[in-house]
Amino acid sequence: MPLAVLLPLVVAGIAGIAVLTYLLGLSRPAVLADTAAARAAWCREFPDDAPRRVVLSHDRHAALVETATGSGIVWPMGADTTARYLSGARITRTATGLRVDLPDYTAPRIHLALDDDEARRWPTLMEASA
Amino acid sequence: MTDQLSYPDVVTWAVPFFMAAILAELFWIVIKGRGGRYETRDALTSLVMGAGNVGSGLLLGFIAYGFFMALWQITPLDLGTAWWVVLLCFVLDDLRYYWVHRFGHRIRWVWASHVNHHSSQHYNLTTALRQTWTGTFTFMMLVRAPLILLGFHPAMVLFCGGLNLIYQFWIHTEAIGKMPRWFEAVMNTPSHHRVHHGRNARYLDANYAGVFIVWDKMFGTFVPELEAERPDYGLVRNLGTFNPVRVAFHEWVGIFRDVIQPGLTWRERLMYCLAPPGWSHDGSRDTSEAIKRKHLSRNPQDAGTPGFPAPPDGPVQN
Repeated sequence: MPLAVLLPLVVAGIAGIAVLTYLLGLSRPAVLADTAAARAAWCREFPDDAPRRVVLSHDRHAALVETATGSGIVWPMGADTTARYLSGARITRTATGLRVDLPDYTAPRIHLALDDDEARRWPTLMEASA
Repeated sequence: MTDQLSYPDVVTWAVPFFMAAILAELFWIVIKGRGGRYETRDALTSLVMGAGNVGSGLLLGFIAYGFFMALWQITPLDLGTAWWVVLLCFVLDDLRYYWVHRFGHRIRWVWASHVNHHSSQHYNLTTALRQTWTGTFTFMMLVRAPLILLGFHPAMVLFCGGLNLIYQFWIHTEAIGKMPRWFEAVMNTPSHHRVHHGRNARYLDANYAGVFIVWDKMFGTFVPELEAERPDYGLVRNLGTFNPVRVAFHEWVGIFRDVIQPGLTWRERLMYCLAPPGWSHDGSRDTSEAIKRKHLSRNPQDAGTPGFPAPPDGPVQN
């Protein structure tokens, strides 16, 4: 297929499918139903290190987790979740919550939407168990 | 000897079909409320990875093609272009695919290229297009060398490879349950390939087939999809980014960081490149064998069931 046809076709196709999924409401981030769901999401990534304590964010989109090894975060990856330990994290307050920078090429930055109280408390909890 | 031979670039010609099929699957899922899941950023990343794969082929494809044409110049064999030669080439190229794919899961250097195809936590037709940008650097073109040396023209081999990729597109779906039994017995199907994309301990390193599932049955890597255990899609450690550049290169970065660690022997540095994914010099990470072993220590009743070795005192019937 000539590049002059292929290129516009690919660009239009990608843009069209992205817009369509958005309009169909398929962009909502994962919600952790309760602490058990947050615990399961953590164990899905780190099955050998079960959480001792789980703190859900007010909107249940993220959870702070404390394990025997250290603290970690569960957060949405689109409609799913992933998790990371917080070792080496740089935590910065933002207008909407916290930004966590990790020394991890596969998860370099996490934006956590937290209320004022959470944004004040979570860095202390993170550092206390890190 | 046939030097000038051309076949259509079937993969690029299939792009409109890919788009139409994705739309059909998306509407099916939305209307029926079952048969899979779509998410905007996940789908967008997969599609951009697919476009990048075509782009990298346009930029770097000359390397593999030049290598194949050099082999074609030195081989005394020419099987011609009869229909049965094309058919034989397709079957043998699928065997080649099986081994390249198996190497792609068992050799970290090749996994670094292939990992992005497994990096989505979704399993839909866009996942099929989440393809590598770095395949050239794995040198897996070498595995095609015997086909050229046996007398299959490079253009025919690449044509068959393209057909193989197109076949594999439709099996990346949850909208199809199981095909008729005879079909499931011989061909790779959505059910077999869902297993391949599963990150469940049971499903790791299984079902490497491209078109014919018989290769897995022949070489002992076949695991059936169990009703009782739905595949959980994605990587053992899922990515925390949708950035296509990070998706494409993250394992290469991981290899680089591992290899330059101070205090390693040269053998350990080499093992970080060539050992199975999850290998580490200090045993701090898990290979798929270790993951299966740990699963069995937590769930001993699974020993001997599909995807798990039999217990030491004999097989378990499931």
